[in-house]
Formats: sequence, C-alpha cells, structure tokens
Amino acid sequence: MTDSANEGSLPLRLRIADKWIMYLILGVTCLVFLFPLINAFQASIQVGGLMNYWTVLTRDYNGVSIPLTFLNSGIIAAMHAAIVCVVGSLAGYAFSRIPFVGRTATYYLVLIFLAVPATAILVPVYHITSSMQLFNSYLGVAMPEATLTLPFAVLLLKNQIDAMPVSLMEAAVMDRAGHFRIYFHVVLPLLRGPLVSLAALSIMWSLQDFLFPATLLRDVSLTTAAQAVQTIKGAFGPTAYENSLYYAALMLLAVPALIIIVGGFKYISRGMTNGSIKE
Amino acid sequence: MSTETTLRRVGQVPGRATSVARPARRRKRGPQLKSLLIACVFLAPLAVFYGIYYFYGFGFLAQVSTEQVSLSFLSAVNVGWDNFRLVLTDSIFQRSLLNNLALAAFSVFVALTLGFLVAMMLASGLRARRLIYTVVLLPSLIPLSLFATVFGRMLDTRDGAINELLRNVGLGFMAQDWIVNEPSAYAALGILLTFMIGLPVIYYTADLGQVNGSILEAATLDGASVWQIFRLILFPVLRNTHTTVIIAAVLGSFRAFDIVFFSTGGQPGGRTGIIGTYIYSSALGSDRVGFAAAASIIVLVIALSLSLVQLIFGRKNK
Repeated sequence: MTDSANEGSLPLRLRIADKWIMYLILGVTCLVFLFPLINAFQASIQVGGLMNYWTVLTRDYNGVSIPLTFLNSGIIAAMHAAIVCVVGSLAGYAFSRIPFVGRTATYYLVLIFLAVPATAILVPVYHITSSMQLFNSYLGVAMPEATLTLPFAVLLLKNQIDAMPVSLMEAAVMDRAGHFRIYFHVVLPLLRGPLVSLAALSIMWSLQDFLFPATLLRDVSLTTAAQAVQTIKGAFGPTAYENSLYYAALMLLAVPALIIIVGGFKYISRGMTNGSIKE
Repeated sequence: MSTETTLRRVGQVPGRATSVARPARRRKRGPQLKSLLIACVFLAPLAVFYGIYYFYGFGFLAQVSTEQVSLSFLSAVNVGWDNFRLVLTDSIFQRSLLNNLALAAFSVFVALTLGFLVAMMLASGLRARRLIYTVVLLPSLIPLSLFATVFGRMLDTRDGAINELLRNVGLGFMAQDWIVNEPSAYAALGILLTFMIGLPVIYYTADLGQVNGSILEAATLDGASVWQIFRLILFPVLRNTHTTVIIAAVLGSFRAFDIVFFSTGGQPGGRTGIIGTYIYSSALGSDRVGFAAAASIIVLVIALSLSLVQLIFGRKNK
C-alpha cells in the first residue's frame, strides 16, 4: 500500500528561484481554491454576524431542520459503507483466493460497471424503489448508492487481498482451514486498513449524493444535507439578512463532509490511489 | 482441529483430493465443483445487488425506452424505436452530448496541464505540501451540490462575488450576467471544472512513486532545470497515468450532473446542459420517461464500451 500524500519526494535539486516560482504558483492556486469558501463565510456573517449560525441551526426551513439532515445523511452514509464493506470484501476474497471456473470473465464483468453514471440508472432505480416500497426509507437510498460503489469496492479489495503474503494463506490451508475460516480469521483482520479507506470513501460519496435522495425521499423529515441545499433555498427571502442566513446554512451543511474529509483524509486519498484501475 | 468438513474444502491444494480410489475424472471435477459452489456463496450478495439494480434495471430501461409512459409506469403505449429517433434528433440532446464531450475535453486539458504541474511541484520537496495537497483536493471532495451552489451565487449579476471582484480591480466592464449569455455560462462551467483537478493530482502523485529516481539525478547532473525535467522527462514517463486520467475525465463528464445542475442549471435554455441533466429533466421535469430511458441507454452504451476498452487495454499493458 503506497501513501499518496507522498512522504518521499523526487530527487530534484531546486534553485532558489525555482522554489519561489513554485510557492507563488501553488500559493495562488490555494487562494483561488479557497476563494469560494472564504467568500461564502464572509457572506454568511455580513449581516447578523456569527449569531446567524445559531439562528440557522435552531430553525426549520421549509420543514427542514439542519441538525436533522446531518442525522439522515449519517444514517444513509453508514448503511452505504456497511453494505459496500461486507459485500465487497466477500466478493474480493472470491475473486482473489477461490480458483473457480470463469473467474477472470466474471471479475471483468463486475468491473465494467465502474463506468455506470448515477443518472443513467435513475429511471430503473425509481421503478425498483417503488416496487420494493422503499420510497422514503434510508435503505432505499443507501442500496442504489452502494450498488454504484460496489465495482470500485471489489476492485480495491481484490487488489489488497492479492497483495497479502501467500505464506499466511498457505499456513491456513495447511491447517486445513476452509475458505470461510480463512476469510474471517486471516483476511478480514489484515483488511482492516483498506476497509477503513473504503468506508471513508463510501461515506464521502454518500454525503456528495444529491440525485437519489432528491428523487427517492419526499418526506421532508428525511431530507439529507446535500439535498437540503435545494430544499431550503426558497425559504430565504431576498433581503441582505436572509441572504447571509442562507450562506450560513450552506456553510453548516458542508460541516459533515468537511469533518469526514479532514478527519479521514489519509484514508480517502489512500483508497482513491489504490483503487485506480491499473493494478 | 481438522474435521471431515474442512478436509473437503481443500480444492485448491493439488494432490490432496479426498481419496485415491476415485477415478481421475471425478477427482479433478469434485474440487472444481466445490470451489465453484463456495465462490457462489461468497459472490451471492454481490449478485443480488447487481441483479436488481444493474441487470434487471437495464432490462427495465430497454423496455421503457420503447414506451411512452409517465413515472407511474402505468398505461404505457408502445412506440417502438420512436424515443431513440426523437432523442437523437432532439437539438437539446445533441447539444448535451456535445457539451458532455467538450466538458470532458476541457477536464482533460486542465488535468494534463495544471493538474500535472501541481502534482509535480508538490513532489519537489516543498514545505507545507500536505496542506496544499488538502486544499487542492477539497473542492473535488465536498458535496458538489454545495460547491456549485456557492459558485453559482458568486456568478450573480448584481452582488455576485465575481462581478464585485472585477469591479474592485478595475475590470468592471467585464462584469456581466454570467448565466444569461451562452459564452460566459460556458466560461463559468470551465472555471468550475478547473476546481475539480483533485483526482488527477492524486493519480499523478501516486504514480510518481514508481518513477526511477536515477534518471532524474542524471538529468540534474547534466544541468537540466526542474521545469525541463517536468516537461521532457516526467511528462512522457507518466503516459500511462495520462491514459488513466483521460478515461477518468471522460467517464467523470457523464457523472457531472451536480456540477451543471447547481451552477448554470443548463441555462440559458438548456444549452449548457449535459446528458445527466437531460435525463433528469426528461424523467422528472417533463415526465417524458421514454426519452430519459433512451438517453440513459445511449450513455450506458458509450460508458460501458469505454470501460471495456480500458479493461482490455489495461490488461494488455500488464
């Protein structure tokens, strides 16, 4: 497993001027990249100050309360992560360690679905969710989200199991341990790191998802944070104060995602690196 | 600890098949069948999700694409290939497809220039590179609905941050109604896409680890500047990463629904829309679900073929 925020850097000898040019380019890039965030924060306290955050946090907008959206997003994200980790690790084990007929073909069939965009399955997901009577349920959103993540999960976890030392498996086989025992007692403990990465990524992707919550959750009390961006828009009037409140709400809605990104940054970037398709 | 049950699971260990007395054919096939069965158990949960949302889903798409029907999916009228004909000749769909490609091309351009450069500089042993890396990745990791909304409001004519910035630095004549004019709406989307270089930066950074350091040392001894090393050595050396980045950008353009939906919303008049927004508005806005299904199938054919090509290509490379 390679660390993506590379510890070791390239063996280059930088002249002072080169160094300054680099700092200049990167500094400007950072400023530009932070500009929307800074701008939104400024706008959020322009009229009413930091109190705006408290106001927004304690009020309902079009029936949506922001702390509740955190809870909804959190539950869906946790379900998504759980499904992906369990289903993905079982499948990854099969593709890595069980030599069965048609393994390569099946594996590639599974991977092709990496390319499926969420909008392309919107119509069937709507129909399937209604047939299974899963409208307005967390699971109804978490399952299609997880299905879109599964090809990536299988790719990532199969690669990781492939990379495990064969000697460990051999020892287990010598002990005449079956596949289920090897999976539970040898592979899963070693897979902890990659599973944390995968869970962090799944949670992040779930927090990003607007499409499925927006189409499958009509009950306002189930609104997720990403969905609320649209739902609460109409509740703010055209005054400067209301505008500041709206920005405060937007900033708050970003908080769960920011926590998972900053807190799990190492795992997220590592997961993305190891899940790139080449290996 | 060993029991008969575990004894029977040793399919993958040659020569350990259960009994010597059995005929050769069965001895070979028994463990094979056993492996297949166990594999089926391990793969069953995956098969359920794939079966419902992909295989059944695609079948359903195929059926709906030949129907005129609303989202209740009741009282469908069979219209044969009409949806495909109408979608393919719909000027808004054609424009969406072109926009999709333009979006992909622009992302590739930004990734191969700015993304590449940022990744190289971050690997040059500067201070605070971890912080910079996080800042550069941030816009691609936070929910796009939020980022694009904030960005969309920055484009506001009257008090949007971009127009105010332009006025403050004396470029007030450039301040304009960003979304209403087609060129400036495209420009706005372009700027927004420039923020999304996180994934390419991750890929380049990761693959730099495999670059042979001695080439770089030799080049430095020969008097090459860092910029020459970036351009003349590292850019060609990382060509496999370029391929990954390009394919990711093209596939990403089909997923860019949120970017467009929350910034320009396809304005003016659906002309900055992409296939994602086309499907969304056909299905939920105008209740032309048959159109949405036909458009979905077109996207899926393109995306899955690309994916297949990448897998075959990637396998050959190994």
